[in-house]
Amino acid sequence: MRLAAPLLALALTATAAQAATKEEVIADVVDHHILPGYHALTLETAALDAAARADCDPQSAPLRTAYGSAFDAWIRVSHLRFGPAEAENRAFALAFWPDTRGATPKALAGLVATEDPAVDAPATFATISIAARGFYALERLLYGEIGADAPAYRCRLLRAITADIAATSAAIEADWRESHADLMRHPAPDGPYRDDDEVLRVFYTALTTGLQTTADTRLGRPLGTFDKPRPTRAEAYRSGRSLRHVVLTLEALADLAHRLAALAPDEQGKIDAAFARDIARAQGLDDPTLAGVADPGARIRIEALKQGIDDTRELVGGEIAPALGIAAGFNALDGD
Amino acid sequence: MANRRGFLAGLFATGLAPMATWADAGAPTHLAAAQRPNGAFALCGLDGVGDVIFTLPLPGRGHAAAAHPIRPEAVALARRPGTFALVLDCLHGKVTAELEAPEGRHFYGHGAFTADGRILFTPENDYEAARGRIGLWDATRGYKRIGDIPSGGTGPHDILRLPGREVLMVANGGIETHPDSGRAKLNLPVMRPNLAYVAYDGAILDMIEPPAAEHLNSIRHLAVRADGLAAFAMQWEGTEDTAPALLGLHRLGDTKARHLAAPPADHARLLGYAGSVAFSGDGTRVAITGPRGGAAHIFDPETGALTRILESPDICGVSASGDGLLFTTGTGLALTGTGTGLALTGTGPGIQAALAFDNHLVKVL
Repeated sequence: MRLAAPLLALALTATAAQAATKEEVIADVVDHHILPGYHALTLETAALDAAARADCDPQSAPLRTAYGSAFDAWIRVSHLRFGPAEAENRAFALAFWPDTRGATPKALAGLVATEDPAVDAPATFATISIAARGFYALERLLYGEIGADAPAYRCRLLRAITADIAATSAAIEADWRESHADLMRHPAPDGPYRDDDEVLRVFYTALTTGLQTTADTRLGRPLGTFDKPRPTRAEAYRSGRSLRHVVLTLEALADLAHRLAALAPDEQGKIDAAFARDIARAQGLDDPTLAGVADPGARIRIEALKQGIDDTRELVGGEIAPALGIAAGFNALDGD
Repeated sequence: MANRRGFLAGLFATGLAPMATWADAGAPTHLAAAQRPNGAFALCGLDGVGDVIFTLPLPGRGHAAAAHPIRPEAVALARRPGTFALVLDCLHGKVTAELEAPEGRHFYGHGAFTADGRILFTPENDYEAARGRIGLWDATRGYKRIGDIPSGGTGPHDILRLPGREVLMVANGGIETHPDSGRAKLNLPVMRPNLAYVAYDGAILDMIEPPAAEHLNSIRHLAVRADGLAAFAMQWEGTEDTAPALLGLHRLGDTKARHLAAPPADHARLLGYAGSVAFSGDGTRVAITGPRGGAAHIFDPETGALTRILESPDICGVSASGDGLLFTTGTGLALTGTGTGLALTGTGPGIQAALAFDNHLVKVL
């Protein structure tokens, strides 16, 4: 998926200025953006589960590596929350974040304190608080103190979480392949998507919400205010992944934006350039945990990155939304 | 009108006239925030068919307003996460007081007065604690802050007084936000919206929540009929194709709300988003507006049946007017929804103003 954007750029340059049809764009997004992303998630989470079964020691290098690869795969599709990811709260179960009330450590500590046997039956585990499931709970076990006094139980809990992550991921991909891909490729009056425009609007919402999440939540929360920066609100900082998630989401969103912009080929270059600027700014930060929010010099560069992403979102609204026939009304956009 | 207002303003300034009323301000029946073509923001007074009677400048984007029940005075509240509210003398076009949300709070754009106009209530976000609060301001003493009470949930948005009772209805949207992260929604997996009935002393008298499977259905806006029947409009935070009904009806004390939706194909066109809600003046109809779908759905509150669809791009403001309904749009139209047939386009006398009307149309009582 990382290479997808430049490859596609070449493919579509050949037909420059010739707008793709809506059907072509939908098929392209489904086949080259969504399905490969969720397939990678299935593979990486299965590998993570296997690594946890082989060695559940939080210090295990293969386990930590598998955690990183699987989390990468999730972040690359984390903007695609509709359909199979939305069903049964699967996306929430994979990713309970931000955790503004500290629900994840609380739920995990509760399981550990009582050595809750829910961890021994996957069907039961899938019904516990979603705050104790998914990648962010796993990070707490791998890189935090929770369960350190009860290593045997922690091992069972950790394996329950990885098995649950793998099962949830596989279920999302299966739904995509078995039905949802076709529902989007072939909208029908009696289906969940009645026409191409409805499908494209869902993609567009995923794109703009993804940009907003990265700017406002991934960056805005740790930035806090100048007087009160909040470095410990950075996403997955315990495993040093905060900045990485910004880069991965921007790459994934750039790929989606590029494919959607095939409907407005004259604007494609501008959109690609905006994302390239944001990605370069992010990569140039050299601050894995975004701890720089508390340092005035480094902070300016993180603020500039956030501003750039906000600008990109505005550009997407101005250039892609009209081509998708999306109402940009004063109230329609307000969300209040 | 300006001349008459100017004359009267002079008269009142001399103290020769009794206390000013809304009639002296041109008798607007409604208030709406708006944006001018040059991008500047304003608060407008409208008459019953949507003609603009006055416009007063606002320093930033408004949202809704609270109309003082007696004096020609409007409180324009900043949209979230704004911290300012202006008290506007609609007769002289002057700002007579400025409200600043207390440290750690912001407004949501809505407010309500007691029946006698002595106290203003403002939904607020206590954002470090992620708790909804209702601020109390003494309108008899220059809107001095006099305290606050719980809202009964997270993300309190619209607020209305229950007719004839010292009870507030609060739409707790359920969504946690924090100014650090702008308008990003921080708690979707666990959000729990509700409609709370809060006594003036802060006691929660009643509360209803959507069914657990619909916890993403954010209760945001309210209307109430003279007999106390409450209507609430919702915004679905899931994907639009899975959106349940966006209109609910409830009465204080009832164990359940009734949810109303158009037949599936029409319902789907609202894209999971209802912007405003209102009962018709005679109480026989209840309307929700869908600015994203560009349509308003009008129902019979007794049978729950859809009686009419009114289509207009960016339609959002709605309020009772006369026996019927008045709608405003982001394109500057004012429409009166007359008739009861299932017509697909509006037939009311649309009035085009050089203004984009913001989300809500507030009735001047």
